[in-house]
Amino acid sequence: MKKTYIILALTALTAASCKKDFIDLTPKDSYTDATFYKTVDQFKQADIAAYAPLRDVLVNDYFTSEMRSDNTIYQPYPSNRGTAYLYRESISNFTNTSTNDYVNAVWQHCYTGISRTNIVIERLKTTDFDAAVKAPIDGQAKFLRAFYYFKLVRLFGGVPLFLKEVTKAEDAFLPRSAADAIYNQIIADAKDAISELSAPAKFPQTGEATKGSATMLLAEVYATQKKWADAETLLTTLSGMGYGLNANYADAFTPGNKNSKESLFDIQFLEGTVLGTTPNPLPFHFLPRSTNTSIITGININNSSTGGWNTPTQDLINAYEPNDKRLDASIGMVEGTYNASDLFVYSANKSVIGYTPAAGKMGVPYIKKYEHPPLIAVTGSSDNFPVYRYSDALLLLAEAQNEQGKSPLTALNTVKSRAGLPATTTADQASLRTIIAHERRVELAFENHRWNDLVRTGQAVDVMNAFGAVLKTQVNYLTPDTYNVTANKLLYPIPQPEIDLNPGQMTQNPGY
Amino acid sequence: MRISFLLISISITIGLVSVKATELAAQGVNTRLDISIGSEDLSSVIKKLEQKANVAFAYDELFLKIANKHVNAANYQNESLKNILTDLLKGQEIGFKEQAGNIILYRQLTGRVSGRITDESGQPLPGASVSIVGTSFGMMTDADGRYNISLPEGTYTVAASFVGYSRVESANVTINGNQTTTLNIRLVAGSQLKEVTVSYGKQRAREVTGSLTQVDAAPLQDMPVMQFAQQLQGKAAGVQVAQSSGQPGRGVEFRIRGAASFYASNQPLVVIDGIPVTGSINNMNPAEIESFSILKDASATALYGSRAANGVILITTKHAKPGDAQIDFNANYGVQKIPGERVPKMMDARGFAQYMNEKFADSRKYEPGYTTATPTEYLNPEQYGEGTNWYKLLTRTAPIQSYDITIRSAREKSSSTVMAGYQEQQGVLINTGTKLFSLRINQDFSLSNDKLKIGFNLAPSYRLDHNNRLGTDGVGGLFERIFEASPLKSPYNADGSYNRDTYSPGMVAYINPLAQFNLTNDDYKTTRILANGYLNYEFLTGLSIKTNIAVDKGAETRQYFQSGVVTSTVGQATGTSSSVDNGSYTAEANLVYHRSFGDHNIEALAGYSAQKYSGTNNTLTGLGYPSDDIPYLNAATSLSEGGSSYSAYSLLSGIARINYNYKGRYLLQGAVRRDGSSRFGANQRYGNFPSVSAGWVISDEKFMDRFSFLNLMKIRASYGVTGNNFFPGYYAAQATIAKYYYEFGGASVAGQTINRLANDDLRWERNKQFDIGLDLSLFNNRLNFTYDYYHKISDGLIMQRPIPKASGFTSILDNVGAIELWGHEFTVNSTNLTGKLKWTTNLNVSFDRNLIKNLVSPGYIRRNNTVSSDYYRQQEGHHLGEFYGFVFLGLYKDANDLANSAKYGSASDVGTIKVKDINGDGVIDDVNDRTFIGDPTPTFTGGLTNNFVYKNWDLNIHMAFSVGGKILNAAKWAYQTNLDGSRVMLAAAADRWRSPENPGSGVYPRTKTGTTAMGRQVNSQWVEDGSYLTAKNISLGYRFNLGEKFLMRSLRVYTSVQQAFVLTKYSGMNPEINFAGLDPTLGIGVDENAYPIPRTFSFGVSATFK
Repeated sequence: MKKTYIILALTALTAASCKKDFIDLTPKDSYTDATFYKTVDQFKQADIAAYAPLRDVLVNDYFTSEMRSDNTIYQPYPSNRGTAYLYRESISNFTNTSTNDYVNAVWQHCYTGISRTNIVIERLKTTDFDAAVKAPIDGQAKFLRAFYYFKLVRLFGGVPLFLKEVTKAEDAFLPRSAADAIYNQIIADAKDAISELSAPAKFPQTGEATKGSATMLLAEVYATQKKWADAETLLTTLSGMGYGLNANYADAFTPGNKNSKESLFDIQFLEGTVLGTTPNPLPFHFLPRSTNTSIITGININNSSTGGWNTPTQDLINAYEPNDKRLDASIGMVEGTYNASDLFVYSANKSVIGYTPAAGKMGVPYIKKYEHPPLIAVTGSSDNFPVYRYSDALLLLAEAQNEQGKSPLTALNTVKSRAGLPATTTADQASLRTIIAHERRVELAFENHRWNDLVRTGQAVDVMNAFGAVLKTQVNYLTPDTYNVTANKLLYPIPQPEIDLNPGQMTQNPGY
Repeated sequence: MRISFLLISISITIGLVSVKATELAAQGVNTRLDISIGSEDLSSVIKKLEQKANVAFAYDELFLKIANKHVNAANYQNESLKNILTDLLKGQEIGFKEQAGNIILYRQLTGRVSGRITDESGQPLPGASVSIVGTSFGMMTDADGRYNISLPEGTYTVAASFVGYSRVESANVTINGNQTTTLNIRLVAGSQLKEVTVSYGKQRAREVTGSLTQVDAAPLQDMPVMQFAQQLQGKAAGVQVAQSSGQPGRGVEFRIRGAASFYASNQPLVVIDGIPVTGSINNMNPAEIESFSILKDASATALYGSRAANGVILITTKHAKPGDAQIDFNANYGVQKIPGERVPKMMDARGFAQYMNEKFADSRKYEPGYTTATPTEYLNPEQYGEGTNWYKLLTRTAPIQSYDITIRSAREKSSSTVMAGYQEQQGVLINTGTKLFSLRINQDFSLSNDKLKIGFNLAPSYRLDHNNRLGTDGVGGLFERIFEASPLKSPYNADGSYNRDTYSPGMVAYINPLAQFNLTNDDYKTTRILANGYLNYEFLTGLSIKTNIAVDKGAETRQYFQSGVVTSTVGQATGTSSSVDNGSYTAEANLVYHRSFGDHNIEALAGYSAQKYSGTNNTLTGLGYPSDDIPYLNAATSLSEGGSSYSAYSLLSGIARINYNYKGRYLLQGAVRRDGSSRFGANQRYGNFPSVSAGWVISDEKFMDRFSFLNLMKIRASYGVTGNNFFPGYYAAQATIAKYYYEFGGASVAGQTINRLANDDLRWERNKQFDIGLDLSLFNNRLNFTYDYYHKISDGLIMQRPIPKASGFTSILDNVGAIELWGHEFTVNSTNLTGKLKWTTNLNVSFDRNLIKNLVSPGYIRRNNTVSSDYYRQQEGHHLGEFYGFVFLGLYKDANDLANSAKYGSASDVGTIKVKDINGDGVIDDVNDRTFIGDPTPTFTGGLTNNFVYKNWDLNIHMAFSVGGKILNAAKWAYQTNLDGSRVMLAAAADRWRSPENPGSGVYPRTKTGTTAMGRQVNSQWVEDGSYLTAKNISLGYRFNLGEKFLMRSLRVYTSVQQAFVLTKYSGMNPEINFAGLDPTLGIGVDENAYPIPRTFSFGVSATFK
C-alpha cells in the first residue's frame, strides 16, 4: 500500500514540475520575434524582406500610375465581366470606387513595406552594433519607407503615418495625417538615407538602394513640392556618384545590362526555378490576351487570363517626334485578329513605325521595352522594372533649372541627343516647360511616372478629359460615365475596408 | 388423534398438501392465549398448547422427531396460537396448518432460490429487489446482482423489480428441500437505469444530471456508409450532422447545439475508448463501435474543459462480455448513383449554340458600335444535338463495399475482441475512391478479485485515397468544371488524345475536365494507429487509481502527378511527393473514490491529464518531366520547391469531480477542469472550466405513488463553463518569422521578418451554458420523453480580426465578441406495438437559435471585400452568418421604370437586374445598398426513426429533416447563369429578357454587354429555402435462427437504401450543404458546389458463429 502512495506522490510531483515547460512551446522550424533580430545578418535579412513588397506594389501600380494616364489603356474583354476585369478597367476609365481591389492593393503593399521598415528602424536602435554597421541597414530601410510613403501620399493624399512597430491590435488604428506631415517624414527619411548610404561601389550595381537612389527620390519630392532649388542641388550631385546614360535607350531595359550606370533604382526580378527567385510576369500582362503569345515572347505562353493591360495609346504613339529612336525601342505592334472569345490570335510582330494593318488583320500596340524574347520559362522574365533612371534625373534637373529661370538645355539635350533628336535651343521658359514635359512622357513611358507627372504639373484634369473625349470617338466600349475627370479624381479613394474598420477616424477623400 | 398422522404424512409425501400460509383457517390458530415455556422439548410444548388453547394437534411424533427437538424458553402474553407456533417451529423443519378444526403438524423442508438479476445486455443490476409473491420473503441483490433466498419447500412466484425497469414475475418456481433452484432474471428496458458512458467513467442514466444522448451502434450497422458520422444523422436531438460533400469517406460535419465559432472549429471532440482523437475521425471503421455517447451540456462535458465547447462524442468500441465466445461476420455490397433529379439541367449543344447565336444577334441589334459577327460555331444551332454530355462522362455508378469480422471471447478474468475490416468506396465521380483496412484488438484482464483491471486496445488502420482529395468542391473545384465545359466540344482530338481546350467562342478558357480527372494522380496513403493501455487498481475499498496512456499516431505519404496536358501552365507536368508524420499521446491518472454510506452515495474523482501533439511535414515538388510515363520525382529534371516543417501543441490539465446522491433520488454533481494550453497567448495559457448540476427523481417520492403509469420523472439542471481551443495554427498567438525573397547582384537572397502579429492576451473561447431538462418514462417504460432547454453564451470568440492594412498586417488572432445560443430539444422514444408486430419510434426535434451579442469595432466582420463573394456578414444584433447582399426587385421593365429607379451606373438598362436602393440616394452602389437578405439557421431540425419487427423480419426507416434554414445558392447564380456566355448555363436561362415584347420568365436579365455583373453579385435572388426531409436509410432484414446444433447460429440478410429520397424545394444539388466544410470561416448555408451525394442500394449479410 505504501508503495502505491509513493507512486502517486511521484506522479503528482512529475506532473507539477514539468508544468511550465510542457505547455511552453515555440516554433522549432522558424524564428519568432523574440529569437530573431539579434545579429547584423538578421537585420540585413529584415531589410531584404522590406524590399519584397516593391514587386507587389508594382503589379498593381501600373494600373494606378500608368494606365490611369493617357499613355496606356486596356484591351476590352466583353465576354468576361468578372470584377477582376471591371476593377482594372475602371481605374483607366476614372469610374473606380473605394472597393477597387487593385487600387487598394497598392495601399496594402506599400504599408506592408512600411511596417517591415519600421521593425528594422525601431529595433536597430536598441542594438549595440557599430554605427558603421548600422548605417547601411538603417539607410536602406529609411529609403524604402520614404519610397512607400511617397507612393501613398501622391495617390491617396494624407494617410495614416505609421512609424513604430505594430505589436498589438490597438496599434493598428491610426487616423489620417495631413499630407504635409507625410512629406516631412519622407524628407527626413530620405535625408537620413542619403547620409547613411554610399554611392554605388561599382557598376553594374547589386540592386540595393544607394545614396543615388535616395538622392533622386528626395529630388522628386522637392520637385513635387516645387522646391526647385533644393531639387537642383541634389540632382547635380548624381553625376559625381558615377551615374550616366547608356549608349542606347533600349540598353536600360535589357536583362543583360541590369543595374547599369543609368539605373538609380530598379525593382529586381530574376527568371529561374531556384527557390525564391521571382520572374517578372509583366511582359505577359502587357500583351493582348492570347492562347499563344510565342510570336512576341518566343515561347508558347498562354496569357489569356493575365494579358490585355497597359496597351500603349495612339495618343502616345503620335507623341513621339519623327526619328525618335525611343518609339521603336518602347512600342511594338502585334498583328492578328480577335476571335469570338475575345482572345487575340497573333499572326505577326510588326514595327510600330508607319504601321498599317494587313488585310483582314488589326494591330495592337504593346510595350516592347520589357519584351526580350525568347523567354526561357513560362513563369516570367528577368526584366527589371525601372523606378529611377539617370535620364529621369536629367529631365527633372532640366525642369528644376527651367522653373528657376536657369537654362535647362545641357541636361535636356543630353537626353534628346541619345534619342536621335536635334538639340533644343529655345530659351523660352514656357516652351521649355512643354518640351521637358513631353520629353518626360516619351522617355519615361511605361515606367509608372506619367500619372504622377500629370498631377504634379497640374495638367491631369485637362489632359485626361481631352484624351477621354477623343478615345470615346475611337472605341465602342466606353460608357458615358467614363473619363469624367474632376479635381477629386486626382486622388484615389481611401480603401473602403480601411474606413469600415476605423469609422470616424478614417475619412474618405472628397468625391467618393 | 394419532389416527390421522399416517394419512397426513402420505398426503404430504405425494404432494397433496400444497402449503400456503394464507390457507390457514382463522378459528383455531387465532385463539389467543398466555403461555410460558421453559427450555423443554417440542413434544411437551405441543401438549401444553393442546391444553391451553383447547385445540387438537395431529402429527407423527416419530417422523417429525418432535421429542428430539428443543425449543427456547419464551413467555407469550395474549398471543395468537399462530404466532406462537410460527415462533416455536422456526428452524425446526416443521410446518403447521389448521384443517377441520385440527392443527396438523407436518415435516417441512427448506430449499433455496438464487440467481442473478441482469439488464438486457447481461450487465448485473446491484440493488434490485427480489421478492416471493404473497410472502414476506425477499432481498436486494448484491454488488454482482446476485440474490439467494431460503424458502420452505413449495411452488412460488418470484418477482424481480428495479426502479425504471419493468417488473418481472416468474411463476411456478418449485423449491425442493435442501436444494437450490437457480433462477436468473433479465430485466427489460427502462433505459433510465442502464449505465451510460460519461466523461471519465460510466453512470446510470437515471443518475445523470447533465444532458447526454446514448446511441447504440448495433441498429445502425445496416447503413452502407464509411463514416460513423453518417450513422448519427438525425439520431439525437440537438446534434446536427450534415453531409456537405459526397467525397468518398469524407465530408460529414457535426454541429451540436448549433455550436458556433467564427473561426475556431465547430466540430465536437471525439474520444474513442478514452483517447481524445487528434487526427481525422474518418479512419475509424464504424463496425468497431458498440455505442456513442453524445455529451451536450456543460455539465456532461465539463471534464473535457477546453475542448468541450462543441460537445463531446464518446465512442465505446466493442469489448467482449463474460460468456461471449462468438464470431460475427458482416458483408455489405452496394451500388451508388447520383440521384438524377437533383442534377442541374444545363443547356445542351444545340441549346447553347442557339443561346450564343441570339446573344451575338442581340448585341448587334441593341448595342451601337457592336459589329462582332456571330462565330461560325453558333451560326447553325440546328446542326447540333445533345453534344458532349460532360456530366455523363464524368460520373458513374460506383460500388461501395465493406466486410468485417469480429471475434469475441471472454471468460471471467479476461476478455478479448478482435475486429478486422475492409471498406472500399469508389467515387461517383470517375477515377476517385478510397479504401480502408482496419484492425482492432481489445484485451481486458481482471485480476486479484476484480481489484486490478488491465487492458490494451490497439487499432491500426491503413487508408488509400485515390484522387479523393482533389479540389472537387467549391469555387473553381473540379465538380463545377463539369458544368462549365462546352457541349460543342469533344473531349478528344482526332488522334484520340485529350483535347485540352474544351471551350467554345466567348467562353472562359477552361481545361477539359475529363482529362483533368483522368490525367491527375493524387494518392494518399495513411497509416494510423490508435492505441491505449489502462490500469485500474482498487487499492482500498472504494478507492481506485485509474491510469490511461493513449497514443494516436499517424503517417501519411502523398504521391501527386499531373500531366502537362492539363496543368495550368501548358506542358508543365508537375509532381509532388510529400510525407507527414504526426501523433499525439495522452497520459492520465485519476483517483476514484466510490462509497455508499447508508442512503448517501458518493463518487469522487481527481486526477490529471497531459496531452502532446507533434507533427513533421516534408514536401518536394518536381518539374520538367520529359513524359507522363514515369510519374515519380525520379523522372523530374528539376526540383522546384521543397521544405520540411515541424509543429506541436500541448495541453496539461487537472480534473476533479464529485457526484453525490441521496437514495438515488436527489442528485448533485460538481466538476472542474483546469487546462494549460500551449496555443494561447503567453499571459492567458491557463483556463478554468467549472460546472455544477443537480437532479431530482420526482417519481421516487411517496406522493407520486398514485401516478402508477409514471415510471420515471426526473428534472435536472446544470450550469458550467467549457472552452474551445480548436483553431488553426498551433503557434498562432506568437509572432513568427517568415522568409521573403528578393534579388541582389543577380541572385536570389532570402529575407526574413515578422509575418504575423503576436497576441499575448489571446484567451480561451469560453462557453457558459445553462441547461434544464426533464426525463419522463411512462406506461411501463413504453413511452420515454426527454426535454432540454439550453442557453449558452460563447464569449471571447476567436477570430482573425481584420485590422487596417495600414498596419502592415491584415488581421490579428483575437477574441472578438460573444454569441448567444439557446434552444429547445425534444426526444420521444415509444414502443408502439409489442405483440407479434413490434414497432418502435424515435423522434427528436430541436429548435436552435443564436444571436451575435457583441463584436469588436466596427461591430461586424464581413466574409471578404469582394461584392461577388462577400456572402455573409457576422454582425452584432444579427444571427450567425446572415447572408448579405443586394435586394432583388426583378428586372427594369421599360424605359419609364428605368428612368424612375435607382441605377447601378452604366450597368443598368431596361431588362437588366433592378435592386433596391437601400439608402435612398438614387443610385445603387456596392457600399451603401447591400443589406441582410437571409438567415441560414433552420427553425428546427431533427430525425425520425421507425423500427418494425415481425417474426424474423425487421424494417427500419430513418429520416432526417431541417426546416426553415436558408441557402445561398452561389453555385447557381454566380456560375451556372452567367449570361455573358462565358460558361454553359442552366437550360432555364434561355428564357431570358430579350426585348420589352419578349421579357422571358422575368428571372433572367438581358445579355447586353457590361450589364450582367449584378446577377453574379450576391442578391436576394440567390436565397432559397433550404428545408428538407431526407430518407437517410431504409433497410429490410430477415433473420434465420439456425439453432444450437449449427456452427452458424444465426444469419441475417438485409437490403438497404441510403439517401433514399430527399424532399426539398431547394433547387441545388444538396440541401445539406449548409455546413460549408470544416472551415467555419466559409460560413453556413453557402452552396458553392460540392461532390454530389449518391443514393446507395446495398445488400448485406450478418452471420454469427458460436
